Amino acid sequence: MSAIHFIPIPAFASIGEALLLGLTTGPVCLASCGPAVVPWMLAQPSSVRSQSKQLLLFLVARLAGYLLFATGVWVLGTTMMRAFAAHTWTMGAIQVFLAASLLVFAAGWPRLRRHEKQNAELVHIGKPIRQKRSGALTLGFLTGINFCPPFLVASVRGAQLLTLPATLIFFLSFFAGTAVWFTPYFFLGLVRRTQTCVLVARITAVLLACWYGISGISILIARLIHG
Amino acid sequence: MASSTTTVSRPAPFRGIGRSLLLTLPMALWSLLIFAPTFRTPEHDHQISSLLVITFMTTLFFLMMRTGKTYRWRRIFFVAVGFLFPVGFISSLIALRGSMSIPIERMVTGDTPFCYMVFPMLIVPAALTRTLIFPGSILPTESNPHSIAAMIALWLGMTLVLGKAWCGYACFFGGIEEGFSSIAKRPRIRRIDPRFRLVPWAILLFVVLLSAALFEPVYCSWLCPFKAVTEFPSVHSIESAIQTAIFIMLFAGLVVLLPLLSKKRTQCAFFCPFGAFQSIFNKIHLFTIRFDREKCVDCSLCQSVCPMMAISPESVREGKTLLNCMKCGACVDSCRKGAAVWHLKGTKVGLHPERARLFFLYGAWAMATMFGGYILANAIDMTLHFLPFHF
Repeated sequence: MSAIHFIPIPAFASIGEALLLGLTTGPVCLASCGPAVVPWMLAQPSSVRSQSKQLLLFLVARLAGYLLFATGVWVLGTTMMRAFAAHTWTMGAIQVFLAASLLVFAAGWPRLRRHEKQNAELVHIGKPIRQKRSGALTLGFLTGINFCPPFLVASVRGAQLLTLPATLIFFLSFFAGTAVWFTPYFFLGLVRRTQTCVLVARITAVLLACWYGISGISILIARLIHG
Repeated sequence: MASSTTTVSRPAPFRGIGRSLLLTLPMALWSLLIFAPTFRTPEHDHQISSLLVITFMTTLFFLMMRTGKTYRWRRIFFVAVGFLFPVGFISSLIALRGSMSIPIERMVTGDTPFCYMVFPMLIVPAALTRTLIFPGSILPTESNPHSIAAMIALWLGMTLVLGKAWCGYACFFGGIEEGFSSIAKRPRIRRIDPRFRLVPWAILLFVVLLSAALFEPVYCSWLCPFKAVTEFPSVHSIESAIQTAIFIMLFAGLVVLLPLLSKKRTQCAFFCPFGAFQSIFNKIHLFTIRFDREKCVDCSLCQSVCPMMAISPESVREGKTLLNCMKCGACVDSCRKGAAVWHLKGTKVGLHPERARLFFLYGAWAMATMFGGYILANAIDMTLHFLPFHF
């Protein structure tokens, strides 16, 4: 801990810095969250209003993830960044949870199975899923605590701040900067939800879930083997 | 009398020889124009390969004109390109770097030959962060002539002319599958769930989203079946060994086994994300295949012969093909009632279908000669180099 240098930054300067950091790295955040947001939103009924509501819920949950992480960063300081062992475990676990959530929410897994039992005509899975707040909230939270490159940069800087409120404000500002870049996702509500569109979104969600699941499990296995 | 009953009557040719030759003349001139530079070089191998390709392409076009059939003659060209592309490409890789595998240091220096399959994955990262997520060079270099800029220009030009017909007249990967799908007389797998047609769109969305999130062309790193016959990252870790195993398994399953069993281009129809991307251009392409509802007897023959499953009962009722139609002409050639016709958008269905076919074929064959013809010439050239004697 002695090697850590706490740099006192004036509150306004840290807010400005975090906001700029968020604004400049926002495109990367947009791309990082795409695999969770796009199939989920495309599998929902189309209406700009309902889609906006879902996206706002997603962003609120993402902010909650940010603030939780900010608290962790403040408590543990830069040791959190250095504790790479714990980091790897968390990365693997988050990816496995993300995979499970994508399967459950975007692909409508339990609902899909019910349909299979009721009716052999799988064509029904082309129907949009009814909106679920839990879906947007879970996916938002999991992407919020995921370690994307801009988030790591913000974490290193946030860990150098002296007080918890300063760290929280720093992350809040960073979130505000990145959230601006999420505007294009609102337009997903304009895409017409044909049966084809919903089915494609769901197959994509299953593929992405497989990817994150395999990736997360391999991280966990590698961690188990190599210690 | 007995002999007359056993004689197999041949269908009458579609056009006379003179008229067919006249219609072939522009293509013959175009071929000469394309390959003219090789006749100025002192290399006899180049000249022989060019001459062979000119003859091959012109003959096939003549036969298209003479018989009025498209699919059969196009297939000969397309399969030849598919099977000869790896010959030329692998030989040049071995000549350049001594191996099919690409070492990591060559990727770092941007020496990876660019492949059009990457296009859809480049767009989002390039738009958002102005980053090209491919380890190639933008402009051609001595060690890597297949640059990004050259390939984009070529693809753009060809897409404007061909649209989705790229998959039937230009994609050298598709030729391999078409070759395997042509071997069996009858399909072993007859019933394929039509919803599999949507999988390429899902894979497209999957690779676009994931490539943007991870900043790497995910399809090339993990999912491309054709890495098995072109080039792949050198095996230096468990990860690269798994990647290579996936490439080989996908190639064996989707490009060899399933086309053999189903007589369909399974990789193109149910997997290829670039094919889905290219389908978008069918919306703006001038030429299409339509069904004349007055002549159609709903025999479903067109649906069973379509290698891409681009015709459904609903689409026939609507008088058109689905978005993934690559205009190979299989349905038109097989329709006994003449209900499936070539069509120029904006004109009445069934009005001058042969004229529409002719206009389409001039564009498509010109591109095929330029792109596929070069591949054929290169492969023949390489083969001639390996002969114990030289011309």
